[in-house]
Amino acid sequence: MNEQDPQKRQPDPQDPAGSRRDFLIAGATSLIAGVAGFSGGRDERSHRAVPALPLSAKVSPVAIVKATSYSHDLEGRMMEGILECDLDVRGKRVLLKPNFVEFDPNTCINTDVAIVAAALNVFSTMGAAEVKIGEGPGHRRDTYAMAELTRYRSEVPDFDRIFVDLNRDDVSPIQNFADRKEFFFSNNVLGADLIVSLAKMKTHHWAGATLSMKNYFGLVPGALYGWPKNELHYIGIPKAIVELTRVFGPKSFAIVDGIVGMEGNGPIQGTPKPVGVMVMGSDLPAVDATCCRIMGINPFQVEYLQMAADRLGVIDEKRIQQRGENISSVRTNFQLVKEFSHLRLA
Amino acid sequence: MESHTFADCTGVAKGFPAGPSFLKQRLDALRRSQNPDGGWGYFAGRKSWLEPTAYATMALHGEPAADRAWKLLSSWQTADGGWRPSEAARDAGWGSSICLTIALGRKEWQNPSRSPALQKSLSWLLETAGAESNWFLIAAHFFRGGRDFSLHGWPWKPGDSSWVEPTSHALVALKQAAQHYPSAKLKDRVRVGEAQLLDVRSRDGGWNYGNAEAFGFDLPSYPETTALALLGLQEHRDLGKAFDLADKLLEHTPSPLAGAWLTITRRLHDIKMLDINANPSEDLMLTAIEALAAPEGNYWFLKTVGV
Repeated sequence: MNEQDPQKRQPDPQDPAGSRRDFLIAGATSLIAGVAGFSGGRDERSHRAVPALPLSAKVSPVAIVKATSYSHDLEGRMMEGILECDLDVRGKRVLLKPNFVEFDPNTCINTDVAIVAAALNVFSTMGAAEVKIGEGPGHRRDTYAMAELTRYRSEVPDFDRIFVDLNRDDVSPIQNFADRKEFFFSNNVLGADLIVSLAKMKTHHWAGATLSMKNYFGLVPGALYGWPKNELHYIGIPKAIVELTRVFGPKSFAIVDGIVGMEGNGPIQGTPKPVGVMVMGSDLPAVDATCCRIMGINPFQVEYLQMAADRLGVIDEKRIQQRGENISSVRTNFQLVKEFSHLRLA
Repeated sequence: MESHTFADCTGVAKGFPAGPSFLKQRLDALRRSQNPDGGWGYFAGRKSWLEPTAYATMALHGEPAADRAWKLLSSWQTADGGWRPSEAARDAGWGSSICLTIALGRKEWQNPSRSPALQKSLSWLLETAGAESNWFLIAAHFFRGGRDFSLHGWPWKPGDSSWVEPTSHALVALKQAAQHYPSAKLKDRVRVGEAQLLDVRSRDGGWNYGNAEAFGFDLPSYPETTALALLGLQEHRDLGKAFDLADKLLEHTPSPLAGAWLTITRRLHDIKMLDINANPSEDLMLTAIEALAAPEGNYWFLKTVGV
């Protein structure tokens, strides 16, 4: 593959916010690792290095697991991928964060309900203390009607008891989110030990691609920030994606539903694209970069991945330990809208 | 982690039954679930938020429970006149419009001790506008057509863009306020706000949440935003296509919330409703809005006349 990194970022001495952010990232990562015993499958040696960027020596595992349909041994394949990434969920309070933003029976906007149901069983089986599902759709006010349409309410056992509408949950502030002094998130999000980004593999007409990192827009409470979460647009979409990953990435695991993705004018009006994979890992930028390569997108050209690279995770293919399938064996070029044709991986 | 349950909101909303039990069930549910501070959470046992508290205050108007709720909401008014969305939040937001509507419905202008707060609220709303109207976008509209960014509506939060729902609520509040506090500025904001809503109307005749198209693709109407836009445009009797669409949306939407808003809108436009059964919900905001939507409900709170 021919990948260029035209804007390789180095620390900017004129950017005190960047320095503070790096410090916070390192601090948060150490805290999570130390207190919660959460390694997230990361190479512990990277914490001891003093690189130019916080994670420039890091190597991250990402698992690509083939799954040709939503009905064939999904739990087994998912478990296989999770174990490939050395994730330990025992005793943890887990919040599954699917992507259900809108419903159109003619396409595949949302994380398939089979993925959510499988994850619920898998994380329970693996010894999680608690598994909940949470989502705050960005467009529609009636989250439960969305859950009805997407069959979540009918096909996920006990859905109403374990689901949290993140748009209307009780909230608490965190300090210094992007350039906001404080920003509010659901108490269920803040209280979770592990958030599992159950994202959909889609193109996105503003961000290029929406994967495990962009999926975290749904963590932002609509009751405070509206429908859509317009505050994030004013922060800047790439910056908001990176900030959400900075805050929640250290306690995250990603499972991207690429069994059937969406190409073209995603994330709502695109067309289904069968790929037949799930992509998993604890390093969200590494997972998303891998998804991009599978979709025929150059991750170095995706702005939020450029921004996250070596600060929040790795996107360089040489430093991603590919487990399971090879990228080349599952690569399926996604159709890109004209505005994003420059993202195409050579 | 905290948890809430949500057991029973599967009733398909196609209008609400005329029988008193429908309303009584909902009002009883609200009375039972009021928090000690006087407010309501989105779900029973949760912290109080402005939105469910405001709708419950309307639904229970005339009862002591509504007075307690209004006392709580009044304590959330900020120094600049807006209203915070909850105890935890510091900054005023879109719910300020709904609180102004309640204040007017409660005839606060007659109360010398509350009238200044009401006028401050009105000033806050008149000064708050969507932030999208920069010269670049206005020029782009001049040359390329599409959405007219010179038209200001209202944002969810000050500093953000205009969207259908906050704009509709602001129009309701301002039109009601115009009966007691008329001004040229108010009239102008209503005129431009209505124009903004009409400008972002989807090609199918209803409303998406804020734009008619994105990247050259038409955006379809949503039932809840179509209902709210019609709420903000109550005096417009030339929106037949929107009502035809609203009928279809009401027939097919699985959303009780959308059904309740469509029902309120149709009642305010004096359109007869089909009656059906729908189960009460544990979603207290929905319960309150459904109570407002009942034939004997207090949907009159949202009634406007021309400015």
